[in-house]
Amino acid sequence: MDRIPLDREKESQVIGTSTQFSVSANVQVPVYNTPVTPYENFKMMLEGKVPFWMPTDQDEFSIIPRIIPDNRARALVYDAEPLLPEEKGGKDWFGIEWEFVPTVGGSMVKPGKPRLSDANDWPKLIKFPNLDDLDWEGSSKKIAPHVNRNKLIELWIMNGLFERLISFMDFEGAAMALLDEEQQDAVHALFDKLCLFYDDLIGRFQKYYGAQIIQFHDDWGSQRAPFFSYSTCEEMLLPYLKRVVDSCHKRGIYLNFHCCGKNEMLLPAMIEAGVDLWVPQPMNDTVMLAKKYGDRICLGAYPEQLPPDASDDVIKNAAKAFMDKYKGFYRLFVFGGMAARTNPAFAKLIRETYFISREEYNKL
Amino acid sequence: MSIVKEIAAAVEAGKSKQVGGLVEQALAEGIEPNVILNEGMIQAMGVVGEKFKNNEIFVPEMLIAARAMKKGVEILTPYLAKQGVEPIGKVILGTVAGDLHDIGKNLVGMMIEGAGFKVLDLGVDVPPEKFIEVMKANPDCKVVALSALLTSTMPAITSTVKAIEEAGLRNTVKIMIGGAPVTQAFADEIKVDGYSEDAASAAELAKKLYGVA
Repeated sequence: MDRIPLDREKESQVIGTSTQFSVSANVQVPVYNTPVTPYENFKMMLEGKVPFWMPTDQDEFSIIPRIIPDNRARALVYDAEPLLPEEKGGKDWFGIEWEFVPTVGGSMVKPGKPRLSDANDWPKLIKFPNLDDLDWEGSSKKIAPHVNRNKLIELWIMNGLFERLISFMDFEGAAMALLDEEQQDAVHALFDKLCLFYDDLIGRFQKYYGAQIIQFHDDWGSQRAPFFSYSTCEEMLLPYLKRVVDSCHKRGIYLNFHCCGKNEMLLPAMIEAGVDLWVPQPMNDTVMLAKKYGDRICLGAYPEQLPPDASDDVIKNAAKAFMDKYKGFYRLFVFGGMAARTNPAFAKLIRETYFISREEYNKL
Repeated sequence: MSIVKEIAAAVEAGKSKQVGGLVEQALAEGIEPNVILNEGMIQAMGVVGEKFKNNEIFVPEMLIAARAMKKGVEILTPYLAKQGVEPIGKVILGTVAGDLHDIGKNLVGMMIEGAGFKVLDLGVDVPPEKFIEVMKANPDCKVVALSALLTSTMPAITSTVKAIEEAGLRNTVKIMIGGAPVTQAFADEIKVDGYSEDAASAAELAKKLYGVA
């Protein structure tokens, strides 16, 4: 595609608005006069081409359907209607009870009474949901009028593989089951069945919502280190993550791996699985990762947090510092859409990264 | 390899099924229970903690080692009691009020237990009154360990410390804190006696606070 020089005045124009779903209240966000659509631009990054600007998570249109019990249980629904307070928490798709914690704005399984104390018991105690039980058509009809098809349509799968095991066994039980020779076969069999389930789910996400990227949730680490070693990951998780990625790729869908924690040492496993995009949390060395692996995976990066009343100079300097930090890398996207909704200075910072990257990327 | 070393190796490798048999064998050979405990199991857990701190091993390895030690201790407990061998001391442990997270707290509990302490685990969402009640019931307990995973529940650490002060018990215990958002600076600010950033360091800190490090 021909490079187009930045026209700051023209590209600052707001040519409309589009809906952005959120948990508490859906909002209208500005649509700017960009040289290509955010979808086309995002796709360039995912395909390893130099995009026109550094994409942001605001260039995705995220859908987390309320019909899926997991999403209500975890109090994370992006749908035509915001989630009601009384819908937050409760039973997930597998009948596991989640408790909504208002101060966090999210839910957790109340620890201490796991469904499984031994992974070998899952065939007796875990009933897989029937995907035909949900009203997919009704859900997609309600959502469709709001969707901005100029953005990359992203559907979320909560509770991936290890997180699902944690929901069944509590954290300690799940962690030990990954290493316990007497439980490992059962864990493999459970993950195998989960992969079949997710394959069917991804197919429905494409059919009913037009999914173009799947955000697959599976937190693998704490703030100081991964929960498990590379070899445990390689043996117990990588083969199944790869199958989920394959379920996406065979349908022309990308996979955005949501994996919180200091997991930089596990990035090679994500790459081997074929993950298209990972947003390392700030405790990871994202610059090092971009240098080392930036040719094989797209990474998200967090700009500096700013106070909402930061001056224009502070904002511009922060945007410049952010872009300088990642100079020369173009398989990167700016993470901060949530913060931008509530922090005007951060929203301006993201706009500044647009203008800087528009110029910088044309030089690459 | 001596039987005590075999026990240590089995604990470190998390071979819980082997540990029981090895402990019984060691007892049958006339090895003192406290030697089995200290040189076989507690030392092994020290190695596990060090490796965990250095990211040579991870949570699953640490958990299965703790589980293996527990198996050994179960067999050893009556023999230790007969000999009058006591734990190093007691540690009261809990996640503060309003916080349901137990992962870090449980890991800390296992490592402190692995270091030879008796842990009184009060669970999650523990109100200050509960800490005070258990402190009063266990006047020989010299360390209280408080955990919080959320920035929003960190103030509950402060209020728990304040409640302990108001109950006139602050001088009877050392207080240590930890959890994802907790820092040494916060520990200094609220004037507690120690902070640790991971479970292995927490066990070392408990020993230090008890003066046995």
